[in-house]
Amino acid sequence: MGEPLRQPLEPHRPYPVTAKRKLSSEIWKHRKEYLAISPFYILFAVFGLFPILFSMYLSFQKWDGIGVMTFNGVNNYRFMLTDPEFWKAVGNTLLIWIYSTIPMLFLALIVAFLLNASFVKFRTFFRIGYFLPNVTSLVAVSIVFSTIFSNNYGLLNYILTLFGLDPVEWLSHTWGIQLAVSVMVIWRWVGYNAVIYLAGLQSIPSVLYEAAKIDGASGIQAFFRITIPNLRPIILFTVITSTIGGMQVFTEPQVLVGNDGGANGGGLTIVLYLYREAFINNYFGYGSAVGWGMFVLIALFSILNWKVVQGKGTQ
Amino acid sequence: MMRSKNVLLYAGLIVGLLISVFPFYWLIVMATRTTPEIYSFPPKLWFGTHLFDNIGRVFDSIDFFRSLLNTLFVAVTSTILVLFFDSLAGYTFAKFSFPGKKWLFVVLLATMMAPAQLSLVPSFVIMAKFGWVGSFKALIIPGMANAFGIFWIRQYAEESIPSELLDAGKIDGCGFFRLYWKISLPILRPALSFLGAFTFIGAWNDYLWPLIILSDERKFTLQIALASLNGIYSTDYSLVIAGTLLAVIPLIIMFLFISKQFISDIAAGAIKS
Amino acid sequence: MIKTRKSIFWLLIVVFILGGCSSSSSNPEQKTLTLWYWNRALDDKLIQAVQTQFPDVRINAQKIGGDFKSKLKTTLAGGGSGPDIVAFNDWVTELFPSSDHFYDLYELGAKDIEPDYLDWKWQLGVTPEGKMIAMPIDTGPTALFYREDLFSKAGLPTDPEEVHKQMGTWEDYFKAGQKLQQAFGGKVKLTDSISNIYSQVNAQSDKIYFDKNDNFIGESPDSSMKKAWDLAVQASQMGVLANTNMFSSEWNASMNNGKIASFVSAVWHKQILMDAAPDTAGKWRVARAPGGDGNVGGSFLAIMKTSKYPKESFEVMKWLLNSENQVTAFKDINLFPSATKALDAPVMKEKEDFFGGQSTGEIFTESARNVKPAYFGSKFGNVNGIVSRELQSVALGKDPDTAWNDALKRVKKELLR
Repeated sequence: MGEPLRQPLEPHRPYPVTAKRKLSSEIWKHRKEYLAISPFYILFAVFGLFPILFSMYLSFQKWDGIGVMTFNGVNNYRFMLTDPEFWKAVGNTLLIWIYSTIPMLFLALIVAFLLNASFVKFRTFFRIGYFLPNVTSLVAVSIVFSTIFSNNYGLLNYILTLFGLDPVEWLSHTWGIQLAVSVMVIWRWVGYNAVIYLAGLQSIPSVLYEAAKIDGASGIQAFFRITIPNLRPIILFTVITSTIGGMQVFTEPQVLVGNDGGANGGGLTIVLYLYREAFINNYFGYGSAVGWGMFVLIALFSILNWKVVQGKGTQ
Repeated sequence: MMRSKNVLLYAGLIVGLLISVFPFYWLIVMATRTTPEIYSFPPKLWFGTHLFDNIGRVFDSIDFFRSLLNTLFVAVTSTILVLFFDSLAGYTFAKFSFPGKKWLFVVLLATMMAPAQLSLVPSFVIMAKFGWVGSFKALIIPGMANAFGIFWIRQYAEESIPSELLDAGKIDGCGFFRLYWKISLPILRPALSFLGAFTFIGAWNDYLWPLIILSDERKFTLQIALASLNGIYSTDYSLVIAGTLLAVIPLIIMFLFISKQFISDIAAGAIKS
Repeated sequence: MIKTRKSIFWLLIVVFILGGCSSSSSNPEQKTLTLWYWNRALDDKLIQAVQTQFPDVRINAQKIGGDFKSKLKTTLAGGGSGPDIVAFNDWVTELFPSSDHFYDLYELGAKDIEPDYLDWKWQLGVTPEGKMIAMPIDTGPTALFYREDLFSKAGLPTDPEEVHKQMGTWEDYFKAGQKLQQAFGGKVKLTDSISNIYSQVNAQSDKIYFDKNDNFIGESPDSSMKKAWDLAVQASQMGVLANTNMFSSEWNASMNNGKIASFVSAVWHKQILMDAAPDTAGKWRVARAPGGDGNVGGSFLAIMKTSKYPKESFEVMKWLLNSENQVTAFKDINLFPSATKALDAPVMKEKEDFFGGQSTGEIFTESARNVKPAYFGSKFGNVNGIVSRELQSVALGKDPDTAWNDALKRVKKELLR
């Protein structure tokens, strides 16, 4: 379509043509390099970029997967924004993220500090032990924790009765389910984050601490003045990765309480909601819209996190 | 004074370690019990005697070996392909210059930001159009070259492959791919072993995507088989638990072999990015 | 290092050989029919017997795991190579709008065998336009499962007939439950969950959410929706529920530990109960359900339009589901018949040890004969899910009226989607 328009312009631009020729021969010369890096770009175009564009298109369609696709305007988005369950899923995801991330990173810092103490022996052994949960499959973890949090035969309830307390029906309450999911996340990721913090701690030059000691700074002062500022980029990294991970929690609640998220939908996270609406209820167009909703949320939270962690630094 | 502080520190570390490994202990305890014993309250805290009986029933009721082989097939194939494509691309980015390299690399880094869940539905639809639903192709091919791996290899290749060595190779008449295969790949081995382990563990534990893609039970990977075992008609809970144990063991054994280097690499990777 | 490399190499070879050899060679004379079903939807022994019964047919039977319905729908969505024969559960009605994806079995000769089957079950597979897309496999007549020993200790009747006489209505059943719970100081609950009461009341009705034109009738007085809702709420308020959902290990544990004294469900729950609660063998009995007879579940077979062999598929189905084979399937894996002749078979009257020597087949046969033909509507699953979720929140303390209004609002929104 654009060809006839472009052609008359060509003669007026002799210089770019030769540059183009040069460039194309340059490119030809490096064809092997391009070939070597091409698989990633081809795969990304087909399985990454195209689905994202396609999902934009799908999100404006009404489609159950079997019948014909019909244009639906912004109805999917309107439904999403007015669906109490969507907002419940958003709230649940945020709550689980808060319940899990804060204790997780805090515990990871403590473990890293303990491991960093100069006298600790068997450091490798401890690191492996703490890291082990991270390579265990989520499905397996969820099955094991479901027996720990069980209403009827759970280990946790047994421990409560040992202390003379009444057993709690964890999996019959919103907060109980969220707690169980959070505990799983914490258990799985403390070691991972601790290992990263430990590497960060070890990269802080000990000269800084020695200088502080000479200046008469206490251990706590050194912690806030030297350790935290030096760890900040690493803390930012862990906060961002846990945000992205936290927004995508799916397996734990799905295996623990099923596709509906259990009692009062306490375990209904955004990804679980997306999965249920798209692949169980077969609203494919709607599922794509929820995907975009999720994308916006993740972007917002990543920015927010970044601001918070950066902001603390400038104080 | 100092010593009691050390004792406290050790105590903290050990308590944390016990919490970390307790679920594994608990899994083994339950795998040695019958279903009524698992359901009993107060729970049985020590090992029972039914381990082999439970494991036997796992093999009788689901095709455990097939699921294991399916998982191995998917994980091994993905790992090999990822290692090949990522190392080739990462090494090229590190050691060669060509027009548009900077831009291409920026694009590559930017793709890491795109969340996978955003395109869950359209990806599925594309797989359906290709006729790949229900097939391992859908699990292996989309992920066989990834930005993280290329980034990782590039970092390592820049530091560890001396350009003189490549020049010498060129003078000896090595072509582009021979340089990669004969000279660079052996040097990249440490970076490859981490990337391989990382990819393998990820593929082994993958759940959501295979859950959507796989349908025939004979093609189930371990995670999907496990979840379906734990699904609605599961009344034999000791079997579920024994299956869980069996699904966890192979990866843990593998991890214990590579753990020391793997953990350092994870930490190093985080600090670099 | 070299050693590990070598061993990895051999591991690879093994994996590729074993992983790659799944495609099997087939005789070109044979017609391969692919069958999709889920575990225990059909008798595996009978499926294998198809080979000998039909020498020119090879059955490629695939058990589809996970959520079967969504797997089937997503396969239809993909438009790819589906099976020839496919099993449906009681959500067959959700596929009516897509009925052109399936063969009309009437056109393949199904009219001739229609009288052999329970009419209400047969009608479930016929669309409002009169196309028959699905043929009956088994049925799920419902009844009351109860612990005879616990009923006896609480001073309730124990004989199935007397139980039914005294607990013929849901209200009487709940009242008896309060008496039972008092006798055990609250340690035993009458029944499992609010959503099960709701489903069971609806299962006894012939008008639930939709009329045959797919208009929502939930608010009209002859629909059972509100009645079922009110009864479920009443049970919850009377405190006779354990708030434990079926199909969970919690439910299984409660049964085995004797924390729940009874529940209403379909005949296929027999097998689940026997597997889940082995410690309670001999203590259970079955009586006609409070509120009347009903049906939950029970599956169907259909032939996909993409199949190249509709006639062969139909013959295979007809054979698999004839009354003799339904008796076999009942003996093998407890599939409760949908063919009327099979209901009269002597095996239906056999005494069962798990139920203290009672012949529960007699109760379920009677129930099966009294089920009212119902129309579920293509959005039954989604609507039912919404209402159940609201009910669950009532069980956890939400105000029932608010919940009812929320449920209706959400249902109406769903219908416009």
